Amino acid sequence: MKIFAIMKKELQSFFYSPVAYIVFASFLMIVGYLFWVILISSRMASLEPMLYNAAFILLLASPVLTMRLVSEEKKSRTIELLLTSPISPAEIITGKFLACFTLYLVLILLTVQYPLVLSAYSTEFDMGPVYSGYIGLILLGAAFISMGLFASTLTENQIIAAMVSFGGLVLFWIFGWAKHAFDNAFGEILGNLSIFDRYAEFLRGIVDSGNVIFFVVFTLTWLFLATRVLESDRWR
Amino acid sequence: MIEMTNITKFYDNFRALNNINLKVEKGEIIGLLGPNGAGKTTAMRILTCFIPATSGSASVAGYDVFEDSLEVRRRLGYLPETPPLYPEMTVGSYLNFIGELRELSAGKRRERINYVAERIGLTECLTRVIGTLSKGYRQRVGLAQALLHNPEVLILDEPTVGLDPSQIIEIRGLVKDLARDHTIILSTHILTEVSMTCGRVVIINEGEIVAVDSVANLERAVSGKPAWNICIRPAAGKDWRQLVEMHTGAGISDLVEMPETLHFKLNLEKAEDFDDLFRNLTGAGHVLREITPVKATLEDVFLKLTSAEERKEAA
Ligand SMILES: Nc1ncnc2c1ncn2[C@@H]1O[C@H](COP(=O)(O)OP(=O)(O)OP(=O)(O)O)[C@@H](O)[C@H]1O
Ligand SMILES: [Mg+2]
Repeated sequence: MKIFAIMKKELQSFFYSPVAYIVFASFLMIVGYLFWVILISSRMASLEPMLYNAAFILLLASPVLTMRLVSEEKKSRTIELLLTSPISPAEIITGKFLACFTLYLVLILLTVQYPLVLSAYSTEFDMGPVYSGYIGLILLGAAFISMGLFASTLTENQIIAAMVSFGGLVLFWIFGWAKHAFDNAFGEILGNLSIFDRYAEFLRGIVDSGNVIFFVVFTLTWLFLATRVLESDRWR
Repeated sequence: MIEMTNITKFYDNFRALNNINLKVEKGEIIGLLGPNGAGKTTAMRILTCFIPATSGSASVAGYDVFEDSLEVRRRLGYLPETPPLYPEMTVGSYLNFIGELRELSAGKRRERINYVAERIGLTECLTRVIGTLSKGYRQRVGLAQALLHNPEVLILDEPTVGLDPSQIIEIRGLVKDLARDHTIILSTHILTEVSMTCGRVVIINEGEIVAVDSVANLERAVSGKPAWNICIRPAAGKDWRQLVEMHTGAGISDLVEMPETLHFKLNLEKAEDFDDLFRNLTGAGHVLREITPVKATLEDVFLKLTSAEERKEAA
């Protein structure tokens, strides 16, 4: 399968570049520190504050993982190879998305020790919000990566790609504030677009199908747009 | 096998190709020649479905590059101007990746990688990281990539750039071998390369085709009046010049006087005049030491055709 060829190649290059290691190391360090500080100060066996903060750190970190996905191919002109091979832009985008998403899942997997610690040492620890929180975190990652991937198709400059996806993600993160600013339908619509508000519901232990669908549609939309940009590069 | 009909390409307002018509038969090797910025790369990118033409149509192996782009891409091997390499990969894993993109089975990939690596002199490099290779070796990896799936049509943008002389000769041999069951378009600035490998030459200048023909025909067309480089040892006290100039249209140029001999370039109206001239000169006791016919080279053809265009433009 050509999608898996792309995916394998992307995963390989993640491990050859120091970027992935640096992102992994700093994320795990910060999350470990947060877990410890929160546990000490609150003296409560709850994972919610940690997952809440982890999501924000991922918002900062994911543009760094996604920025090179397509930009680098454009810069080094290997895009000419891909686009003249018998592979479609949709397959290229899917392969790249799956590679980055796999990496993200590994990163998330490395944090499951914390809920395990809590459930081992605490008697009244509720695993429900942990499961739903992790589902939320995974969906959130798909959303972050798809938007970053889209930003990466726009330019051959990795820094610009990172800034665009960072800006876009923060915007969707804070859309929820509009609910309080405009007390009307417009505020309602913007509020519905807030990835933060929806993620927060997962942390409270609610897996709402509307929220799941929102994240899936959000992800597919950005992947679709990324494919279109890649296709349209041909028509210049 | 390859057909371009009325292809015109605009980059914004700049016209890179103007009304290109070209037909290439199966098994032909076509050389694209032209000065920098002539539009060679642009033409190749259109054929490989990387960019669309502004107007006109093109087809490869019977498939339209626009409508059936996937079928065209399946049948193409393409070496772009900059070899498309991933510096962090090893040569072997890179070629394996290309094989996967090209829909080759695992066994077939192994077989083709070994074969191509051997033909291009990469066998020792398969485990090396591409980023550490020299420029010439990177060019070879790029070439290996284009040949890997044994495509019907090969499009090579300056394939021998950066290679050492012995490798250039090998690649030329390879290209000639391939031509038996492949159709090849290559662009180059090395004119001898074209005269040695290509059946036909397409000379492009400022986005227009100025000539399409075999190298021999082009040289003949451009050479014009016959000319010779001559070295003569004149007999003492006799005028050789007058014997030459009695032929109508005869011209002497680039005269160099050495202590004993004279060197000059001789132009005549007709080649047959030379027989008379030769008899008269030797009859009068002058000694002809060297006679070399001056032939138009591909360089002359190239310069003449591409600069004639410029003159037209200026007028
Ligand atoms: N993406 C682009 N945008 C605008 N102009 C371009 C673009 N690509 C090429 N051109 C212009 O089109 C013309 C033809 O370029 P092309 O690369 O086809 O030339 P070439 O014959 O391959 O030259 P060279 O021998 O230097 O490789 C040039 O004047 C170039 O500046
Ligand atoms: Mg070029």
